[in-house]
Amino acid sequence: MSFFSDAFHLFVRSMKKLVRNPILVFFSLFQPIIFLLLFTQLFSNLGRFISGGTLTYTAFATAGIVLQNAFSSAFQSGTAVVDDIKSGFLAKMLATPVNRSAILFGRLLSDVFRVVAQTVIILVLAFALGVYPATGIIGYLLVIFTVAFFGLAWSGISLALGLKTKSAETVFGIAGAVTFPLLFMSTALVSLGFMPGWMQNVSNFNPISFAVNAIRNPITGCNLDLTVCNIGFDWGTILQAFGVIAGIGIVTLGATLYLFRKVVS
Amino acid sequence: MPGIVDVSQLVKTYGDGTKAVKGITFTVNEGEFFGFLGPNGAGKSTTIKILTTLLQKTSGSASVAGLNVESDAAKIRKIIGVQNQDTVVDEDLTGRENLVLQGQLQQMHGPAIKERVDELLKIVDLTDAADKRAGFYSGGMKKRLDLATTLVHNPKILFLDEPTTGLDPQSRAAIWAYLKRLNEQGITIFITTQYLEEVDRLCRRLAIVDLGEIVAQGTPGDLKQEIGADSISLGFENSSMNGGDVRTKARQVLEKKFDGVSNIVDSDIGLTVYAKNGSYMVPELVRAFDDAHIRLSSIGVSSPTLDDVFLKHTGKRIRVEEVSSANSRGMFGRRRR
Repeated sequence: MSFFSDAFHLFVRSMKKLVRNPILVFFSLFQPIIFLLLFTQLFSNLGRFISGGTLTYTAFATAGIVLQNAFSSAFQSGTAVVDDIKSGFLAKMLATPVNRSAILFGRLLSDVFRVVAQTVIILVLAFALGVYPATGIIGYLLVIFTVAFFGLAWSGISLALGLKTKSAETVFGIAGAVTFPLLFMSTALVSLGFMPGWMQNVSNFNPISFAVNAIRNPITGCNLDLTVCNIGFDWGTILQAFGVIAGIGIVTLGATLYLFRKVVS
Repeated sequence: MPGIVDVSQLVKTYGDGTKAVKGITFTVNEGEFFGFLGPNGAGKSTTIKILTTLLQKTSGSASVAGLNVESDAAKIRKIIGVQNQDTVVDEDLTGRENLVLQGQLQQMHGPAIKERVDELLKIVDLTDAADKRAGFYSGGMKKRLDLATTLVHNPKILFLDEPTTGLDPQSRAAIWAYLKRLNEQGITIFITTQYLEEVDRLCRRLAIVDLGEIVAQGTPGDLKQEIGADSISLGFENSSMNGGDVRTKARQVLEKKFDGVSNIVDSDIGLTVYAKNGSYMVPELVRAFDDAHIRLSSIGVSSPTLDDVFLKHTGKRIRVEEVSSANSRGMFGRRRR
C-alpha cells in the first residue's frame, strides 16, 4: 500500500523541516512557557480560592497551559500547507503517483507528533516546578493522548482555513484573534466557580473547557469542581471530553478533506 | 502513427469564463525535442498542466504515451517528469534529501533510489553540495536540482516550463547541455522557453501558440523558410513629424515605392520590414525616406530568425526577462513560513 509509505515519507519531511526551523517550535512554546513560569507565580494566591488550598495554582493551571500549547502548535499546521501550495511543492507532488490522501495524513501525523513533543516539554517543566501527576505515568499518558486527539481536531481548523484562504496571514490572524477569548472564557486558567455568571454560561459550552477538564483530572486527581481530590480518574469528565473533541474533529477534518479534494482535483 | 503526445481540439475554459486554450491540435513524436512557444498568457502553462494531469480539460482530447490524461492519469504520472515555471525544491532539505523524497513519491525503493540519486547528483554537478540544504544553493544550483528531481524515476517524457528563465548565461548553457544529452538518450522533451536561439539549435519541431490557439507549427527551418524574406529593421529619429505618426508616413512610402516588401510590422524603435533580398533594397530605402523627409536613426538587415517567425505570427517580440522571481527571492534570503 503506497498510502502508509507515502504518508511516512511526508511525515519525515515535515519533521526534518520542523527540526531545521527550531524558531517555529520556539515561538509556539514561548507563550505557554511564559505562562507556566510567570503567570502562575503572578496568580499564585489564586490557588487558595480555587481549590480550597489543596492545589497550587501552578498545578491547577498546567492543564490550561498544556492546552494553550496544543492550540498554538495546531494553528501552524495550516500555514505549512499554504507554504506548499504557494511554493508549488504541492503541484510537484501531485504530478507524481503519490497517494493523494497520504499528503494530508502525513501532515496530520507530523502535527500530532509535534504537539505531543511540546506537551512532554511542558509537563517536564511543570514537574520541575512541583507539579506531580496524581494518577502517575498512566495519567500522563492519558493526558498526552487527549492533547494529541485535541491537536488533531484543532489542526483541522487551521488546515481548512489554509486551504480555503491560501493565505498564511489570514490563518495567523484568525488564530491570534480566537486564541485568548476562547482560553479566557474557559476553565483553562480559573475554575468555573471563580467566573462571573455570564462567563460560566459561555464556559459550559466552550469546547476548550471540556478538553481542559479532561486533562486536569489526571494531573490533579480532583473532581470537576475541585471539592474532592484523590479520586483518581474521573471517567465521566474524560469520556465527555472525548465526545466533544471527536465532534469537533469530524467537522474540522471533514471540511479539510473536502477542501483538500477541491485543491487536488 | 500516433505520437507520444497527442492533443486534439483541446479546450480549457476556466471557472471565471477565461478561455485559456481554444481548441488546439498538435502531436509530439517519440524522442522529439519539441518547443512550445508563445507570449505570456498564450495558454502554454495551461496546456502543460492538462498534459501533466494537474488540470482538467473542458473538452477535446489529450493523451500522453497513448494514455488518456483523465482516465489514465495515475499511469501517466509514473512516466512523466514535470518541471514548473517556478523552481520548486524544498529549501529545508538537502539536495540529496530532495531527490530521495522525489524517488520515494515515485514509489521507488531502497538501493534503487540511492544509486539513481548518486548518478543524478553527478549528472547535474551537485555531488559536492549534495548534503547542504537547498536553501543555501544559488539560483542555478536550485534549478539544476529541480531538473534532477524530475528525472529520478527515468521518465519517458519531460515537460519543462521555462526551465532556464532567470538564470545567468552559464547556468542556462549548462541546463541546455543536460537537456540535449537527455534527448540524445531517447527522452522526449516538451519545453516552453523564451530563448529562441536555443530552440533553433535544439528543437526538432515547434508550435507557436497565441491567445489559446496554435498559429504556426513545423521545424525551425521550415518556419524560417516560410517567412522567405530578410528583415530590415528601421529606427526613426522622431516618433512623429508634421503632426503625424512617422510610422504611418513611412508605411505609405514603403507601400507606394517598394513592390518587394512582403510585410511591415511595428517595432520598438520604428518598423520591421520584410522583403526578399533586403540588403539590395537599403540604398533605395534611404533615398526614398530622405525624399520624404523621414529621418532614420538606424537601419539593419538580417536573414530570418525564429524571432521573426514569432513576431510574424503573434505580432509580438518574445521578451526575455533577465530579472526573475527566482532572483528576487534570493535577494531576501531564505523563504520561511
